[in-house]
Amino acid sequence: MSLLSIAGLSKSYGGVAALRDATFDVEAGEVHALVGENGAGKSTLIKILAGAVRADAGGIAFNGAPVSISSARDAHRLGLRFLHQELNVVSRLSVAENLFLGRAYPTRFFGLVDWGALHDRAQTVLEGFGVANIIPETILGRLPTSDQIIVKIASTFVEDGSGLGRLFVMDEPTAALSSKEAERLFGVITELKRRDCAIVYVSHRIDEVLRISDRITVLRDGVSQAPIPTAGATRASLIERMTGRAAPEANVAAATSSRPAVSLAVRSAAGLGLSDLAFEVREGEILGVAGVGDAGGDRLLKCLFGEARTGEISIAGHSARIRNPAEAWRRGLAYVPGERRSEGLFLSHDIAFNVTLPHLGRLARLGAILDRRAERATTLALGRRVRLRSSGPRQKVWRLSGGNQQKAMFARAVAGTPRILLLDEPTRGVDVAAKFEIHTLLKEIASAGASIVISSSDHEELLGLCGRILVINEGRISCAAPASGLTPSGLLALCYGARANGPRPLG
Amino acid sequence: MTALLRRYGTFVAVALVIGYFWLELPSTFLTGRNLLNISQQMSMLAVVAATMTVVMAMGDFDLSVGSMASLSGIMAALVFISGGSAPLAIGVTLLAGLAGGVVNGALVAYVGILPFIATLGAMTVFSGLAFRLSGGQTLFGDAIPHAFSDFARGGVPLFSTGLIIPNLTLIAGATIIVAWILLEQTVAGRRLYAIGGNAEAARLAGVPVRPYRLAAFGIAGLGAAGAGLMYASRVASANPTQGAGLMLDAIAAVFLGQSMTEDGEPRVLATVAGVLILGIIGNGLTQLNVDSYVRDILTGSIVIAAVAVSSYGKTRAQ
Repeated sequence: MSLLSIAGLSKSYGGVAALRDATFDVEAGEVHALVGENGAGKSTLIKILAGAVRADAGGIAFNGAPVSISSARDAHRLGLRFLHQELNVVSRLSVAENLFLGRAYPTRFFGLVDWGALHDRAQTVLEGFGVANIIPETILGRLPTSDQIIVKIASTFVEDGSGLGRLFVMDEPTAALSSKEAERLFGVITELKRRDCAIVYVSHRIDEVLRISDRITVLRDGVSQAPIPTAGATRASLIERMTGRAAPEANVAAATSSRPAVSLAVRSAAGLGLSDLAFEVREGEILGVAGVGDAGGDRLLKCLFGEARTGEISIAGHSARIRNPAEAWRRGLAYVPGERRSEGLFLSHDIAFNVTLPHLGRLARLGAILDRRAERATTLALGRRVRLRSSGPRQKVWRLSGGNQQKAMFARAVAGTPRILLLDEPTRGVDVAAKFEIHTLLKEIASAGASIVISSSDHEELLGLCGRILVINEGRISCAAPASGLTPSGLLALCYGARANGPRPLG
Repeated sequence: MTALLRRYGTFVAVALVIGYFWLELPSTFLTGRNLLNISQQMSMLAVVAATMTVVMAMGDFDLSVGSMASLSGIMAALVFISGGSAPLAIGVTLLAGLAGGVVNGALVAYVGILPFIATLGAMTVFSGLAFRLSGGQTLFGDAIPHAFSDFARGGVPLFSTGLIIPNLTLIAGATIIVAWILLEQTVAGRRLYAIGGNAEAARLAGVPVRPYRLAAFGIAGLGAAGAGLMYASRVASANPTQGAGLMLDAIAAVFLGQSMTEDGEPRVLATVAGVLILGIIGNGLTQLNVDSYVRDILTGSIVIAAVAVSSYGKTRAQ
């Protein structure tokens, strides 16, 4: 019998159905993937399981017995453990303290903590997960994200070593991980399967889902489809099920530059741990920046946007001294940061507020008095251009899905018709359909003459969009490779330091 | 239901309180004279609360406004005592208030000290200065020109009703209008709210965060100095503790107002409502001869209740 089974689950928010009669079940020892576009109902389902939201209708059963989950504690007691994208660990405490969070520490007389015993027990738990190299006294915040995730998973097994009958719900667990780190996580998942745990794996990364899951359930518009065994599934078939349309061509030709004028030239720039940065971008060109781990693609973009300590930057042939983001926007640069929630959006404000902020001077009367009608009109027009789906410019941004939030950031970036667009992880946390729309938008922008520099850990994205890709290694640009003829593994090899036979970065 | 409670809970509660006062004091409470009276008593707080709203829109606090008000009263009195004219006294005082605010702003924006700590330190420094300059005593007497002290007593007739709008009320009104225009209608105001929403995102979106922070604190200092002048005019004297209580009342007024806004942001008109609520309740309680300590307890409880209801509503809504 299934460890967890859901039947007829429905939930509406103010007349809009987020989940309609959803059915889902997971068995012990299985990895069951849950996929679907943003807005399909995945997060609603997870929130219901987590006790954060109550379903309007439907039932949940554990090992055949019906249960009611009305709080986080209920979920916890049933054995549900959640791995969210925001890790919810205490970075300032040690690994051992995090493992024992909320549990009784081993004590000596008078209730004094027995640190020796604590660390020994922590070590035992860590060994069980194949991460004996993590020292229990280390402050958790100093460990790489993948280790923090593993510690978080391991903490589930501290109370009783068996950990039988646990159900893990993992929401985009590899979003912040490199491929090496993701491998470690997959190793841990295998161990969890061995311990008869069940895993609900929610992810946008189709390759991972195809690789690691046993069954896949597709959610579309709040309705669940019957689960399919992973063995027979393909990327194209999944996309078709998720979107109801045939998969968009993965290989729409990358825009090639037709106007050879150089729009951005960088010489001997340094900053934020990078040095000797030198490259050129032409009008209409899409330039990629790739690297492994924390190579620094995002920092390169920040250097262009005001953080460079030294170096010469020239825009359209004119030398430019960009000391801060305000100057950068004025000079025709636009930036979309990698962490939209913490670096980009004003979640409690509406779309118009978010989109118009860098452009207020232009939209205001006499440059100082706000013109709300102009702002709304501009926001509407931009929303249409980037295919932003919302209830209007006055909608609060926190209500938008990840893909639409990202599109709002794009609307902000293109509002001023920038000459150079700097994008950091443009489609992170964005569903498949929105990703395709963003890629199409980027190609349109480039063919209109703007230059785009994209830093991304999604190598497929870079290869599909860019004409050239800069590789960052050890704080420097190690090479600039033309994208045509380059495979994802070839690019990965370059990132790991293989010698390239391509031309030098100034191209 | 919870949403209704959140948005209108404070209105309803205040309306009930006012209704109670009106029943108990039918002839002296809801009269034009009394209301104008209240507005004059609250005018100083209104000025400080309006400028405090500018700082709080940015997500910061200024704890030094009360001490700055006291200090400015003392400075104005000292200018008079050394023979200066009213315009000179006003000019020097306002300039000093602006300078004090700018120093706060510089500490917060350029040195990077937490606003709470920077303004706490400034509060102590201003207070110390006020005591030092005044010798710890109240300054009053002939040196203060009649024109200055009469200003607070005077007013502008309200058409033919026979009522007089106090000058102090007019000044408060003017300050409120300027603050409202700044925060609600200008690019600068929008940028201040952006800094309050997410300072780093604002910076990356091209808002020059540090100069704006500096300016906002400068405005708060200016407002505090203005309030100090208004006090000095009102009581024709200056003492180094005159502004005590202004700071906490101003913050309470902003929070009270914030509990009534739709988006939970500090807004000038909401702050004005907060000031009026505090003033009306205080006035009603005084007329009922309620002990001033009990007044404080009641007022404090009302502020807590209002903010609690609105927070409760907010967490449920999300």
